[in-house]
Amino acid sequence: MKKGIKIIVIMLLAFIALQFWKPEEIEYSTPTKSLTNVPEEVNTILRNSCFDCHSNTTNLSWFDKITPANFIVSSHIKDARKVLNFSNWDDLNKQKQNAVLFYAYNKILSGEMPLKSYTALHPSAKLDERSMVVLKNYVTSIAARKTYADILLTPNSKDDNKILGNNTISDYSKVKPSLNNIKYIPDFRNWKAVSTSDRFDNGSMRIIFGNSIAVKAIEEHQTNPWPDGAIFAKTAWKQKTESDGSVSAGEFIQVEFMIKDAKKYESTKGWGWARWKGNNLKPYGDKPNFDQECIACHNPVKNNDYVFTTPLHLNSNTFNIYKKSK
Amino acid sequence: MKLPHYIIMVSIVILLGCNRNYKDNINEKASVSALDELPENPLLLSAITFSINPGEATMSTLYGNTIALRHAMSKSNSFYPNGAVLYEVTWNQKADSLWYGANIPNQIIQVERLTFAKDSLPKYELYAGHPLKKVPFENVTKRIAFVISQRMANTP
Repeated sequence: MKKGIKIIVIMLLAFIALQFWKPEEIEYSTPTKSLTNVPEEVNTILRNSCFDCHSNTTNLSWFDKITPANFIVSSHIKDARKVLNFSNWDDLNKQKQNAVLFYAYNKILSGEMPLKSYTALHPSAKLDERSMVVLKNYVTSIAARKTYADILLTPNSKDDNKILGNNTISDYSKVKPSLNNIKYIPDFRNWKAVSTSDRFDNGSMRIIFGNSIAVKAIEEHQTNPWPDGAIFAKTAWKQKTESDGSVSAGEFIQVEFMIKDAKKYESTKGWGWARWKGNNLKPYGDKPNFDQECIACHNPVKNNDYVFTTPLHLNSNTFNIYKKSK
Repeated sequence: MKLPHYIIMVSIVILLGCNRNYKDNINEKASVSALDELPENPLLLSAITFSINPGEATMSTLYGNTIALRHAMSKSNSFYPNGAVLYEVTWNQKADSLWYGANIPNQIIQVERLTFAKDSLPKYELYAGHPLKKVPFENVTKRIAFVISQRMANTP
């Protein structure tokens, strides 16, 4: 019995001693003003559910300050601010701000955010149904493509995404590889279209091309995980609104590749990630591990082998059984 | 339960299980089905460009055979050569369940097929309904004009 008490006392003393060991002090209580151009109702929701980690205004509970919890809290906050810090909201242009809010809304919708470990201890940060509706209505209102009624009401919608003339690159070997050492793949326009996507949130439209290995995998239902050698080229254009309200492919924005090789790209979830932007095909990213950004965005679809695209069933055998049987 | 019954029951459960798995990953509903009366599967041809009709909540992809693709890649005009085949495939849209802010193909509502022969207007055929069946169509000239007016979506 005596021995038991001794152990408890030693542990208690050790715990108290531990409290003098604290993580490096980070900015906690710099007030963050409400986000410019964002309605107060939306600001309140974001402040309540996101700001603790994604701004310089952190309201720590008493238990967040106890060692060792404070080490976990502090590292989480540091990582979170690196990804998104609402305190730097005004540094972003309007287009980027809108993209951030759509991204944030989708992270919440997929259940990835706010982190479960955080809401378990801070239940008030959980978003209720009403908050989700408020956010959804707000992001819908800032979507790049207005509703059909808005288009009709705007006389002669301005054509600011004129297609540039002949800007084909003649020597693709001069296109710079991405910083994670992926070479540009020029022949994807001869691949098959796996699907299309109408991104009304940011006013872009995409064709997702798949190489022959990807197409074969679709035909054989071997798409989760995708086989080594499968490549996707997600090609994005600006939406160009015609006078009748219909939308066609305007200026080329970028092409993004996902190259499957479970071994070679083991450290990046089995995929090689790369993106080339603009008509001069400038590789995206300023450091070799820029692909962490790609993975962070694709993380909500990790159960689909990190692929957002739901492919069309490309199968040479599934049409016209009548004709074939004749 | 007799053994054959047991085997059939187990097989059904396994097959249903497999089916469910497939549905998760592949947009089966937006694809060409075995019952569609098309001369070929247009989704296996090359995508030239695509367009959206927000008013109708539809999206269309213009596909072409090799001859049509070669023309669209190199020339910026509507004079497709002899042997070129174009398909304008139109889907109604659905919200992408994986990304709020995106619409993706839901189901094919019509397929228009244009075949080009020497020195004449292309031949126009319309397939519509579920399953897709060839249907008569009046306003052919207007639709041909629209389909061939589209240009290759530009990539550098």
